[in-house]
Amino acid sequence: MRDNLLDVENLSMRFGGLLAIDDLSFSAKKDNITSIIGPNGAGKTTVFNCLTGFYKATSGSMFLNKDNKKLDLKKFSDFKVAQKAGVARTFQNIRLFPQMSVLENMMVAQHNKLMIASGFSILGLVNAPSFLKKEKEAIEISKYWLDIINLTNRADDNAGDLPYGDQRKLEIVRAMCINPQLLCLDEPAAGLNAKESAELNKLLLFIKNEKKTGILLIEHDMSVVMGISDHVVVLNYGKKIFEGTAKETKNSPEVIEAYLGTED
Amino acid sequence: MNKNFFQSSIKDSLFTGIVALALFGPIVGLRTVAVNEALVVQPKWLVVGLIVLVCTVGRFLINIYTFKKEQRRGEASSIGKSITNFLDTKGAQIALGAVIFSVIFPFMPFADRYWMDIAIMMMTYIMLGWGLNIVIGLAGLLDLGYVAFYAVGAYSYALFAIHFGWSFWICLPLAGLFAGLFGILLGFPVLRLRGDYLAIVTLAFGEMIRILLLNWYDLTKGPDGLTGIPRPSFFGLPFKRYPDEGVETFHTFFGLEYSPMQRIIFLYYLILILALITNFFTIKIRKLPVGRAWEALREDEIACKSLGVNPRNTKLTAFAVGAMFGGFAGSFFATRQAFISPESFTFIESAIIVAIVVLGGMGSQTGVVLSTIFLIGLIEVFRDFESYRMVAFGGAMVLIMVFRPKGILATRKPTITMRKEK
Amino acid sequence: MEYFLQQLINGLTLGSVYGLIAIGYTMVYGIIGMINFAHGDIFMVGAFVALISFILFALTSIALPIVLLLTLLIAMVFTACYGWTVEKLAYKPLRKSFRLAPLISALGMSIVLQNYVQAAQGARIKTLQPVIQGGFNFFEDSNFTVTLSYLQIFIVIVTIVLMAIFTLFITRTALGRAQRACEQDRTMTALMGINVDRTISMTFIIGSSLASVAGMMFVMYYGVIDFYIGFLAGIKAFTAAVLGGIGSIPGAMLGGLLIGLIETFWSGYISIEYKDIAAFSTLVIVLIFFPTGFLGKPDIEKV
Repeated sequence: MRDNLLDVENLSMRFGGLLAIDDLSFSAKKDNITSIIGPNGAGKTTVFNCLTGFYKATSGSMFLNKDNKKLDLKKFSDFKVAQKAGVARTFQNIRLFPQMSVLENMMVAQHNKLMIASGFSILGLVNAPSFLKKEKEAIEISKYWLDIINLTNRADDNAGDLPYGDQRKLEIVRAMCINPQLLCLDEPAAGLNAKESAELNKLLLFIKNEKKTGILLIEHDMSVVMGISDHVVVLNYGKKIFEGTAKETKNSPEVIEAYLGTED
Repeated sequence: MNKNFFQSSIKDSLFTGIVALALFGPIVGLRTVAVNEALVVQPKWLVVGLIVLVCTVGRFLINIYTFKKEQRRGEASSIGKSITNFLDTKGAQIALGAVIFSVIFPFMPFADRYWMDIAIMMMTYIMLGWGLNIVIGLAGLLDLGYVAFYAVGAYSYALFAIHFGWSFWICLPLAGLFAGLFGILLGFPVLRLRGDYLAIVTLAFGEMIRILLLNWYDLTKGPDGLTGIPRPSFFGLPFKRYPDEGVETFHTFFGLEYSPMQRIIFLYYLILILALITNFFTIKIRKLPVGRAWEALREDEIACKSLGVNPRNTKLTAFAVGAMFGGFAGSFFATRQAFISPESFTFIESAIIVAIVVLGGMGSQTGVVLSTIFLIGLIEVFRDFESYRMVAFGGAMVLIMVFRPKGILATRKPTITMRKEK
Repeated sequence: MEYFLQQLINGLTLGSVYGLIAIGYTMVYGIIGMINFAHGDIFMVGAFVALISFILFALTSIALPIVLLLTLLIAMVFTACYGWTVEKLAYKPLRKSFRLAPLISALGMSIVLQNYVQAAQGARIKTLQPVIQGGFNFFEDSNFTVTLSYLQIFIVIVTIVLMAIFTLFITRTALGRAQRACEQDRTMTALMGINVDRTISMTFIIGSSLASVAGMMFVMYYGVIDFYIGFLAGIKAFTAAVLGGIGSIPGAMLGGLLIGLIETFWSGYISIEYKDIAAFSTLVIVLIFFPTGFLGKPDIEKV
């Protein structure tokens, strides 16, 4: 199990009387795209919220393998999951900083290292060269990612003014700016047209192959899921009902039943 | 204008009249006056009649006006829009002009004592506005108790200066530091609250500080206030006509005729410098990572958390920095007045500063100046009508929220651009 | 023991007043999610209308119970007009604005109301001769006599009756149903053909009339009012609303009673100078450690 990036073991999450996640275990490998699929309300986003510290899981454990050290994700509260463990995420309903420019969005994602470089603002206030250098590097990193999604020419426009598809992509590359071990994407293809979906696939494969970042993907768009997933976990009513490769999933009777119901 | 419309707007105006009668009838029409220790009612029907008439006719005119406007829809591009455009694009030039004007202001021919006093007052509000702008405008934290930090600054300045006899330039940073520390202390427990809850809690804190100042007699002399706060001196040269034996004064040192205006002008430049420091600090820090994080938190706190930004610490810095500038302004207030009492630090002061920031346009430095001139000017113009001026002030707050909720200057410039870097 | 009992009686009376104001906060928060900052001043206007009405009736020879009933109705009607107008002028145009806009507009409205009443009625405090006098005395032979005045009984009974009518209204009538529906989902309610604007107006009218009754009781109980009473009473009532769980109507009443008790016991046993600190610290503590209150729904952060 050494090469597993993420190990989720017996995870449960209860809201009052509702058991949103029921004893869920799965693993995600490094350099892999692991998809979590399932009908609406199956508890997919809740899994993300537990992983990224927005909810405190009722029971179970989550371990992240970071530089060959096993980190217990339950020990990190919300922002520390991103800051210390390197788990980045995007949201189902895009959460950019709409009134800030595209470049500023990318810079906020590099906040922690810039904060240290600016000597917690003291070096920054006096324009220390070491800070200016780091700031320039951060801009270069932003530019690198914006070039990849073809948004460099809109870097100074407000993020909220971008077309929907570009906002989706921007949110993903913004998350990449924190240099994550694991990137959690919550329905990145929702609302995209066929061409944009294809571009998204390309971007995700690039992140996986070139950046060696593990991706956890929640998605309804089967062309995305089947096209790029290395591994698929299927949830229904908070329980894992199937796990396997994309092809196996497609042919699994349990999965078909969960989506389409049984024949009477 | 068709008949149907005419009828309905008449009906509507009459309805407005009836509501106005219900509103103003008892409160304005039946004034309670104490005669021989018992209250009697003094009718004022004429005033009520006038108000009701104005409301009815006004409503009718508005109806006709909006009807005509609806007919002309599509012609767009009104004067309002061009003013907006002008303000939005020419912000930098306006700012530069304003700085030059404020530097030469004391030497304008009309700048007598009255104008200088107003200018100093406005400058104090501008500084407070700029300080609070960090908290509200940038970090998006609605602080309704900002006056507490102003009070902490003023009182700590006064206490240091009276009890230890330290000079202005020692007491000022100390007072600012003290206020900033207070900001951290108060901010720590409350900053995770949602927007409107935060507003109420800060309000409560502001009032608690005032009640404390009012009742902690040993330290603050309660409602009597602190007197004998040392007047500021020009780097050791006092502004006095008849100085103590062997002490050189400002006018003898520079070989000038003594004039009480010298002290006023000095105070004016003092607050101008303090205000400009606040301004440049804000402009600079906005472009640093912490400043960007403030604005990002204002935009979306959850997204910030997902990117590893520590929301509490980031908010706390905004709160503390804002409080510190409030403390500086408080020190200035104390040294200018030479007397402070809790009466100067009521909730209405907080409300005025909040209004200045919000009406100026959240986060806009130039906007703060414009709205200070507008609001404090409004209060000044109505000076002779004591309580009407606050009615006008509150009314202006409502009207601007209704018609221009983003404030006078609504555009925001990015803190960093790609083009420049190429 | 006798002293304690007296504080308890006083606290419950005061609590009734705060509870009635708190309902207005809680209802408005429930339906449009804003803190109606001017609500305390609406209460103050109610107190003034009641004062004027009492003074006018004092010139006539109408029997006391009728005077009380008429004053109650007059205060409710005229104050409701204020609530309605404030909503129309200052809040309705801002429903789609950014989240702090209505709060600032409400702040402005509060300043307007306070200073308008000051301008129209004068800044000096107004004293009203006691309208209802006398009461029951207990423990007369011990060294502390406990008094339960008729006025206190009147205040508590009126509060209970109003609460009963109000609860029936909310649970049994179509308008009450519309009101509750709007709290859940305004857009959906509108799609069901319910006039949302009218329902919101109704909420303000009801909240203001209840506040005006509180104002009437306040002026009768203390006998002294000025244009500034709305500020403190408003904050205390808001604390009550939060303590009971904002959005919950029984919670508002419960919170009101608790705040009334906290305030009287604090003044009775600890310090009268710092009595307002008691209310403010309760507010701060409740908001920080206990933001859902007793009967409120937990507010789960939606991600």
